[in-house]
Amino acid sequence: MAAVKPNTNWAEDDIEADELPQPTETTDPNTGITTITSWKLDEQDRKVKVTRRIRRRVQTQVVSHSVAERKGWAKFGLDKGKASGPDRKTTIIGENLHFRIAPVSKAEPEQADPVASKPTGGKAVVCRLCQGGHFTAKCPYKEQLAVIDNMNTEGMDEEEDAGAQGGLAPKGASGPGGKYVPPGQRAGGGAGESMFRSRDDLPTLRITSLSVDAEEDDVRELFEKFGRIARVSVVRDRETRQSKGLAFVSFEEKKHAEEAIKKMNGRGYDSLILNVAWSQPRGERA
Amino acid sequence: MKPIILQGHERSLTQIVFNFEGDLLFSASKDSVVNAWFTSNGERLGTFGGIKGDGGHNGTVWTVAVDSQTRFLITGAADNTMKLWEISTGKCLFTWDFLTAVKRVAWNEEDDTILSITEQRSGQPSIIRIYKINRDEPTQQTTTPITTMTLSGSKATVALWTPLSEYILTGHESGKVAKYDVKSGEEVNYIDDAHSGEITDIQGSPDGTYFITSSKDKTARIFDSETLEEMKVFPTETPLNSACIAPLRPYIILGGGQDAMSVTTTSQRAGKFESRFWHKLFEEEVGRVKGHFGPINTLAVHPQGKAYASGAEDGFVRVHWFDESYFRSRPFGDLEPEVEV
Repeated sequence: MAAVKPNTNWAEDDIEADELPQPTETTDPNTGITTITSWKLDEQDRKVKVTRRIRRRVQTQVVSHSVAERKGWAKFGLDKGKASGPDRKTTIIGENLHFRIAPVSKAEPEQADPVASKPTGGKAVVCRLCQGGHFTAKCPYKEQLAVIDNMNTEGMDEEEDAGAQGGLAPKGASGPGGKYVPPGQRAGGGAGESMFRSRDDLPTLRITSLSVDAEEDDVRELFEKFGRIARVSVVRDRETRQSKGLAFVSFEEKKHAEEAIKKMNGRGYDSLILNVAWSQPRGERA
Repeated sequence: MKPIILQGHERSLTQIVFNFEGDLLFSASKDSVVNAWFTSNGERLGTFGGIKGDGGHNGTVWTVAVDSQTRFLITGAADNTMKLWEISTGKCLFTWDFLTAVKRVAWNEEDDTILSITEQRSGQPSIIRIYKINRDEPTQQTTTPITTMTLSGSKATVALWTPLSEYILTGHESGKVAKYDVKSGEEVNYIDDAHSGEITDIQGSPDGTYFITSSKDKTARIFDSETLEEMKVFPTETPLNSACIAPLRPYIILGGGQDAMSVTTTSQRAGKFESRFWHKLFEEEVGRVKGHFGPINTLAVHPQGKAYASGAEDGFVRVHWFDESYFRSRPFGDLEPEVEV
């Protein structure tokens, strides 16, 4: 280095020693994967090498001239001179939200009525599928539940119990008299929720021998009849994005997850027999 | 649906707007800076203000409006000024001074006229002013309004131009909805008890023939722009801060939550800080999108109905691009027409 610049004084030399190597970017022509290597200093002024492997996929979109022109505008204000592309300081991509347009059940006010929800004598009509106050044939969940119910090989009593607890009726069932009680006001509860719930405290199921064609939404559809689902993830190959036939489903309630294991383990799905079991946290795995 | 979270503000959002093509989003907040964002990837194009001495606002920016050609931006703030900006460079072109804060601004359809509403405070009445904008020499603007409407009754909080820009529609603190002639400044029609609480937002339908209002009285209502006849009511459980009508699909989006002062005493789930989707015709709720940690202050929908954005008290803007399932959705099955995608 000194040979190239013979006139450098000692101060500049010092700066050069601390200088970080230039970031490199190489693209593998066979796989199309770009490897970006950059260097940075951490809090203790140590050099850290950051390697990112990404695949760039060009998405072509037809836009009007004015939109295309605006894409080329230089940044201004506080962002003046910054490189193009989203800045991680101001832009983050949120976690995938499940959003589906469907009528929101208005069953709540009816269930709050103490007379209607009171279990009356033997003559009362109780749906065998969802324990609602209507004939089984008119059950709104008939199609979803009948299939699963037929698979149930265990005693009827246990099933009824699980059904009532299992959140198969969309609202209610959480407090006395079928009335919805907010989690904070439930007996034994009282603790407030935290802003970021850790992944590990959610009851998570591991689904193996899943069809490789099953997407997140398919898995969600398969399991959401047991209760509210917090997260679904299908494990994919890092490079090809092809499913590995393995998925994780996190329920919000443990009993819903138990119910799902009982009903879904061994069930056929897309010509394969599902294997559903509790997911072991990383540390406990053999 | 993966939301893009934009964190360019230090304080709560006051208003967000998409431009005509929907490729840019402008957000105004209480921290006196206005941000411009690319909606496709969440990249920030720049800030209007934020650097000392560049002519930015010096107080809460209450309102922002963009013209249909995305050339000029109008902002109104609590420092008693209204500013005209060049969007491509972020330069402030002109400043109007008032005696009180500017609460709402809007462009008319021809992009040559704006309206501004000033706050009623310290003996000053709430005034709606209409200004001509000189588009050829944007730094030379007149400070004399072409029409001035001094409101004697309840102050106006929000306003909107009707199609063809002959009238403006206003929402008032008392819950009144009124229609004013732009040329004469006369009140041509009004409904005193349109809402029973303060009207917090007013947004038009894609063709402008009807509009939606949201109110602190926990309802949103759709009115006919011509007759001010009430067409639909959407009752919710929380005070509403914003409402908008989605083009393309028959839904409206509502946002709200309890008052900012009571936020810290309630949990996130009880706070109902969700954007709520309602079916416009059947007046039934059809979906919710959660994510904010505070009440939603402002909502805006992509002009082609492909996305929507929400800005909240927590200082974040979330841009949501709709999934394929949204465009095919028919929540009421056979009651609704087939969807062509």
